[in-house]
Amino acid sequence: MFFEAIQTIWSDSGLIALTWQHGLMIGVACVLIYLAIVKKFEPLLLLPIAFGVLLANLPLTGLMSGAAAGSKEPGGLLYYLYQGVKLGIYPSLIFLGIGAMTDFGPLIARPSGLFMGAAAQFGIFVAFIVATLLGFSPQEASSIGIIGGADGPTAIYLTTRLAPELLPAIAIAAYSYMALIPLIQPPLMRLLTTEKERKVKMEQLREVSKLEKICFPIAVTIFCILLLPSVAPLIGMLMLGNLFKESGVVERLSSTAQNALINIVTIFLGVTVGATAVADRFLRPQTLMIIALGLMAFMFSTIGGLLLGKLMCWLSGGKINPLIGSAGVSAVPMAARVSQVEGQKANPSNYLLMHAMGPNVAGVIGSAVAAGILLALFG
Amino acid sequence: MSFFESIVVSLFCIATVFVVLACLFVFVKILSKVLSGLAAKSAPLSEDAKTAVETAAIAAPAADAPDFTAGELKLINVDEKTAAMIMAIVSHESQIPLSELQFRSIKAVPKTEIQ
Repeated sequence: MFFEAIQTIWSDSGLIALTWQHGLMIGVACVLIYLAIVKKFEPLLLLPIAFGVLLANLPLTGLMSGAAAGSKEPGGLLYYLYQGVKLGIYPSLIFLGIGAMTDFGPLIARPSGLFMGAAAQFGIFVAFIVATLLGFSPQEASSIGIIGGADGPTAIYLTTRLAPELLPAIAIAAYSYMALIPLIQPPLMRLLTTEKERKVKMEQLREVSKLEKICFPIAVTIFCILLLPSVAPLIGMLMLGNLFKESGVVERLSSTAQNALINIVTIFLGVTVGATAVADRFLRPQTLMIIALGLMAFMFSTIGGLLLGKLMCWLSGGKINPLIGSAGVSAVPMAARVSQVEGQKANPSNYLLMHAMGPNVAGVIGSAVAAGILLALFG
Repeated sequence: MSFFESIVVSLFCIATVFVVLACLFVFVKILSKVLSGLAAKSAPLSEDAKTAVETAAIAAPAADAPDFTAGELKLINVDEKTAAMIMAIVSHESQIPLSELQFRSIKAVPKTEIQ
């Protein structure tokens, strides 16, 4: 009786089903947890993602399994939470929170930042070309390329629609590179700009009226969605969140969107995206290629922004510091902070943060527009 | 998809991103012009209003003078701005309207005297 009980427990346990692939993925999860906690690499997202990877690779849990046909047993917890990713709900809700936290004032004050936001999408299309050369389908190449937009929710949104099987690798690559911005961007910034250009001090931005800030999200919504209806969930939610903030009449909604809501959705999104990284889908040579292509996309996006920054510096007669161009990749506000740090290294009295915020928020719009175009072409 | 096709698609996509954001640039410029134009139009009105308020403010003391007076106020080592602030704070803290309070003097006490 006792031995039978032991045998039953043993045969039902996950230990018997554990393979070396599961072990390796558990190891990967532990490394990601280490990076999130000790190295503080985007911990808000990397920690739930890493824990999702850990949960999904513990065998026989059924956390990501749907209900079996004809069975009264419900599916796993993460399976139901994952529907928010699959249906594109979470990325859009995160955009609502981002919108409520974003100040478009610097962009309205100097709208030329929009061109830097557009140029910093260059890497998306470089990676797209290389990925198709390597044999990825256009849908997969689009999803890989969007890593260069440096916008996690947009990458997840596009990938769930075009190449859901690549979601774990793309999400992990996108968030990892966003965390590595302070390491990836500065060498490129120093390589592509001269000491003189980095020292350029920019004129103070004009004051933007409240009315302009209120009109901006409404007009962007109408304009962008009429032109590219496929971006409606992302741009619509981004601008709704911003209107909550700028209108000043729905303080509670604005506060909820930028605090409680975004935090709750981040937990669900992170854990379930991580849970898609199961061994048989993740441990493939394709994953390494995606990670390499993602890095390339990210670097070329930075280069695109910097080169346009240099062009604008030249056209303006040296009034624009080209370092703010690299902030056109949409990782807000990390990329703008990197511009500030590099600018101050060249000239300690240089304050580029607010100037870099314009291209930075333009990059959010730019990457959403790029995703919309790819979705319209290959969706 | 061939290499050539992928280049064509990429050029088309990046051009579209530029066109969309360039249109937004034009739009933001127009919006700023329109709103600053509207603000400029309403500015003369507000100037008139400001003059009216100033005129009323000049007239007001004469009208109010018979009703109450703050009396003679001696300021010792205190400038007028600081004195006005102190009076406003006392009025606020005591919840007595300023018009019902009478200040005789406001004196700055040197630090050594406090200790």
